[in-house]
Amino acid sequence: MRIKAAFLLTLLVGATVAEAQLPGLRRRAPTPQQPVLSTIDAQRAEFAAQSGGTTVYFGSDSAIIGAPAKATLGAQAAWLRRHPEVAVRIEGYGDGLDTRDHALAVGARRAEEVRSYLVLLGVPGAQVSTTSWGKERPGLGRAVTILVR
Amino acid sequence: MTKLFVSLLMLGIGSAAAAQQPAATVIAIPPLSSPDSGNKGNEMLAIGWNVTQAIEADLRQTAEVTPLKPNRDDYYPYPEVTGPNFTKWRQAKAKTLITGFVQGRSDGRVTVGCYVYDVEKARELGRKGFIIGANDWRRAAHKCSGLAYTAITGAPGIFDTHIAYVAESGVGEARGRRIAVMDSDGQNHRYLTAGDAMVLTPRLAPKGDSLAYVSFAGGKPAVRVVDLNSGQERPLVPNDAISFAPRFSPDSSRIAFSMMLGANSDIYVVSANGGAPRRLTTSPGVDTDPSFSPDGTKIVFESDRGGSQQLYVMNADGSGQRRITFGGGWYASPSWSPDGQWIAFTRRGQDGRRIGIIGADGGGEKALTSGPGDEGPSWAASGRELLFQRSLGAGRATIYRVALDGSDPRELVTPQGGSDPDWSGVVE
Repeated sequence: MRIKAAFLLTLLVGATVAEAQLPGLRRRAPTPQQPVLSTIDAQRAEFAAQSGGTTVYFGSDSAIIGAPAKATLGAQAAWLRRHPEVAVRIEGYGDGLDTRDHALAVGARRAEEVRSYLVLLGVPGAQVSTTSWGKERPGLGRAVTILVR
Repeated sequence: MTKLFVSLLMLGIGSAAAAQQPAATVIAIPPLSSPDSGNKGNEMLAIGWNVTQAIEADLRQTAEVTPLKPNRDDYYPYPEVTGPNFTKWRQAKAKTLITGFVQGRSDGRVTVGCYVYDVEKARELGRKGFIIGANDWRRAAHKCSGLAYTAITGAPGIFDTHIAYVAESGVGEARGRRIAVMDSDGQNHRYLTAGDAMVLTPRLAPKGDSLAYVSFAGGKPAVRVVDLNSGQERPLVPNDAISFAPRFSPDSSRIAFSMMLGANSDIYVVSANGGAPRRLTTSPGVDTDPSFSPDGTKIVFESDRGGSQQLYVMNADGSGQRRITFGGGWYASPSWSPDGQWIAFTRRGQDGRRIGIIGADGGGEKALTSGPGDEGPSWAASGRELLFQRSLGAGRATIYRVALDGSDPRELVTPQGGSDPDWSGVVE
């Protein structure tokens, strides 16, 4: 991230200086180099690949973690224990048919149950934070996504 | 058996309400007079004509009052403000009459006086006078409209009130949301947030000086309180817990809200000036959406502690919690009416979400809308109508208003799509 920002800044300064020194002369901007795949993207890809997905699903109005979710979370916990330097945010979602505030609470409860389960499997609590989107983001009802950040 | 009894009860109440429904009261609003003469007189009469037309627009929105179209030819001299020509208005079939005047002051402001009369009995029903800036005539009109509405119906008028809501633009991931506040007639519309963070559920303090809402600016939903005069903002509680569903007490001194402690959502109350919150519920279920009774002694809220979302009432200190809804389906987002009689709610069933009301004692449930995407009722100060949000698919939402008399909901005009409406009390 930081590398990318610095690169952009350099590019910008270079262009400004060039224009100021040579008014009326158009110089071609240097061809941007392929940016190095940032660490976070690589981590996200590896996390998703090795834990069988970043999303776990729940039953209607329920925060109970079922067997398929446990399998995914177990793999995630193993990966997170191997990568104590990586922090994840657990984002809970509610049902689109629910009322706004109840959906917010159910999403938060799902996220918290997932966090507790990961901690139970040995992931340090400081490595995982939670939030809830309730029903405010379309598409992902009754689910929790675990996001590397 | 219980079901039969309940439906019979509902039938009874429905027909009683229909029988009580009186024809709308016809009111005459001839143009306001002025004691001033010359150029100043003309200037005052022009303001008076603005006030007259604004009163007509206010009263025309109501179900209970039908104004006669104001006519400039009906001008009357100043002494007739307090001695109107009742015979003329009786012939025009008006039951009620508004007279008034606008008078210039030496400081540049104006005095507006309003009088409401029962035409048949030739009797004054009320009067009100105030000093305002010459450009503030709209507020004077709202006060006159409120005087007439209260004289006719006995209920507070809704004309000098504010509406807060979430203004929405775009759909899906591009959905932008901002907290907006406007007068109930759509004037003085302004935004309180920039649109860079997701925001929800604005709730106006009854005194009208501050507003609580939920912001995702810090990465997770948290209640914030903004002072409407200074624009200053602060978090409601100084921790990083998820908090939501704020509502002020009727005297604006306290805020009840929901906060997550681990996986548990409970209801808390905190002084509107800050300080440590006090926990009111302890059930392991989701307790949320608290709403105070108008005397501030009780709180209605929703809880799924019994397996499904239902409405419960408790004392304002958390004691004496008891369930009041037993009609099947889920009941959510309750709101206590300003007259204390009713609790409005969202009822969720297999066929979607609808708005309804139930007596504060748990009797006389009545559906007000047909759904399927309705939620979040908020009362008018009159206690005779509600605002609510209707989702129209694809994430789009619009605000509607619906009266208790069973008439069809009407759309509330906002500059953009809107959700989470909140209607203030009368601004003093």
